[in-house]
Amino acid sequence: MSLNRIKIESLARVEGHGGITVEFKGGKLSNVTVDIHEGPRLLETIAVGRIPSEVVSLTCRICAICTISHRYAALRAMEKALEIEIPPKVHLMRELMHCGEMIESNALHVFLLALPDYLGYPSAVHMVPDHAEDVQAGLRVKKFGVKLMELTSARPIHGENPVIGGFGKYPSKAELLRFKYEAESLIPDAERGVEILRNLRQPTYMEEGMTFMCIKPEHDRYGWVGDRILVSTGEEFNAWDYRKLTNERVVPHSMAKRSRFQDKPYFVGALARFNLLGERLDGAAGEHFRRCYNLSWIRNPMYNNVAQAIETVWALEEVPRIVDKLVAYEEDPEIVAPSRDRGAGSAAVEAPRGTLYHHYEVADGKVIRADIVTPTAQFLDMMEQHIRVAAENLLKEGDTEDVELKLEMIARAYDPCISCATHLVKVRGI
Amino acid sequence: MAEIPKPKVGFYGFTGCAGDLLTILHCEDELLDIFNAVDIRSFLMASSDVHDDEELDIAFVEGSITTDHQLESLKGIRKRSKVLVAIGSCACFGGPQAARLGCGDWEKRFKKVYGEVKHTVAEPRESHPLDEYVKVDYCIPGCPIDKHQFFFALTRLAKGMPVELTTFPVCAECKWNENECLLLKGELCLGPVTAGGCNSRCPNHNLPCVGCWGPTSEANVASEINLLKERNFSAEEIVNKLRLFGGAAMVRRFADLLGIKTEEPAGKPRQKKARKPVAAGKAKKKTASKSPKAKSGKKR
Repeated sequence: MSLNRIKIESLARVEGHGGITVEFKGGKLSNVTVDIHEGPRLLETIAVGRIPSEVVSLTCRICAICTISHRYAALRAMEKALEIEIPPKVHLMRELMHCGEMIESNALHVFLLALPDYLGYPSAVHMVPDHAEDVQAGLRVKKFGVKLMELTSARPIHGENPVIGGFGKYPSKAELLRFKYEAESLIPDAERGVEILRNLRQPTYMEEGMTFMCIKPEHDRYGWVGDRILVSTGEEFNAWDYRKLTNERVVPHSMAKRSRFQDKPYFVGALARFNLLGERLDGAAGEHFRRCYNLSWIRNPMYNNVAQAIETVWALEEVPRIVDKLVAYEEDPEIVAPSRDRGAGSAAVEAPRGTLYHHYEVADGKVIRADIVTPTAQFLDMMEQHIRVAAENLLKEGDTEDVELKLEMIARAYDPCISCATHLVKVRGI
Repeated sequence: MAEIPKPKVGFYGFTGCAGDLLTILHCEDELLDIFNAVDIRSFLMASSDVHDDEELDIAFVEGSITTDHQLESLKGIRKRSKVLVAIGSCACFGGPQAARLGCGDWEKRFKKVYGEVKHTVAEPRESHPLDEYVKVDYCIPGCPIDKHQFFFALTRLAKGMPVELTTFPVCAECKWNENECLLLKGELCLGPVTAGGCNSRCPNHNLPCVGCWGPTSEANVASEINLLKERNFSAEEIVNKLRLFGGAAMVRRFADLLGIKTEEPAGKPRQKKARKPVAAGKAKKKTASKSPKAKSGKKR
């Protein structure tokens, strides 16, 4: 059969608006693009001239699914810029809110957005008649993540409670303990996701080696926050040198900028974290990881779905550990005031879909420069590469049945957040 | 008894953070009921089962319009839908991306971000709310929307009934929650002028209202500005705060107070006509001919 073009106008079950175009010439694949149709927002230009607290409220609105990660990265960057040392209880609360987002976002992606592909349904709702228990398990886990985000940040989405220097208000011990027990009770539901995905055959037509990157936690456990970046080449970088890692550029077919490391595409996200830090996973999550891990994980992005499912288990196991430490504090710390009104700060946080960088420069109490590099902007080139390999292999084997779905599944495995990817580039004063 | 046909509903998103559609996906307890109570014909974020050429009873649209392609899609949705509901601050007011509406610097800012690369995917334009281009029947504000207000609207509309949304400000809810007044404590709180419905979440957490639901219909912005000036906040600080989420609502209703020059064509680089003539331009379009009172949704 002859194909000229495969065009997927609108990717479904991802956040934001993007498509895929694959073009062929003379029976050979000539071009692959992941097209980003999302409209521009120029939020970084809106940030300029505003006070830091407003900019934190603004930049978390880049994305609803990763709102906590954006807020966390913004707070860390601003606190570095303004030289603010935060007390241990604030750290713990932030870790707790971060767990909430990881649980919410991973469960949403694994159970509601990715699983329907494997089982052959257009959506999780269509799965209900045959797989009600699975869908409900996913919804219970996701709901817990959302409630944890609400508890810590004051709202399920764009909560304003985490502020520069601390929190407006802390949850009571009784509330925290309720969340601890609920987290423990939900581990079997999250493990259900791992089991389903473990027993499914992952397609292999897109396999190709990747470079991975993720944050190196400050302690020797698994984690999502730190000032050093690990690369699978064996190199390590400071987070404030993120421009050396991301090297952003503008391309015509995308409102999102693109990144390459040493002129090669790279992968960020749960799969990168597990390839680089998987050995550090403890508890039941660690056992699942060791049972599921195989060498395909270094070249097959579909395993990102499995990694997210296991990471959800880890996050649920982490909640009781954090709560136990939090309830030991009798006093709620006051919000720490800035010690200066000028400075620059860069910070990195792992968002569910990969490493997120925020950088701000402040002068006379106003933001004069904002630069944000999102995970989706970083991995779009890698996604294009895997789609290209898949299209070539499928064409070679004459396997063109459901080719759109097969390519879309690759894009979905990355769990892209297109809103995020679209608006984030550096800008200096207007 | 004959079965009553379920209303056909579509969910659409333009430029924004997807937080309003996500709020709907976050209704875990009610999600399956919602999907059963109405016939969902399009919800791309949740399902690949999409029918985008059908007539709809209700369309829920989030996000603002920032490309020509989006504008065409919006017109298409309007044409196919009996009721069009804007959900969230971006769809209602243009969102934080519309915080500099009327400043006339959009093209300059676009070049700052993207340089000179000519995009092949979409013709970009400055962010505007939906009602700038088509008739909007209801505006449900919020950043993001509150799920209870959404349920209320959905159940009323599904039964063909009108929707009455909250008209009181955050301040009212804050009193009901018996919070200490942050304005009196000298904080820059926008509670008195911001649409309520969020249950005064920020003041409940000892934090001032950031105004993310946009101005309430009865907002007395002049009095708020005076109050804040008395507390030694600079005009610049106050205007910045009001405009962060106020978008087009601030430009339309309070331009004089905020020092926004309305003779600026509100930065619509690819549209020759200025802000005012948009309504007239719109009337010519096929979409508006169906809706006799094309502007009714606008002045909320």
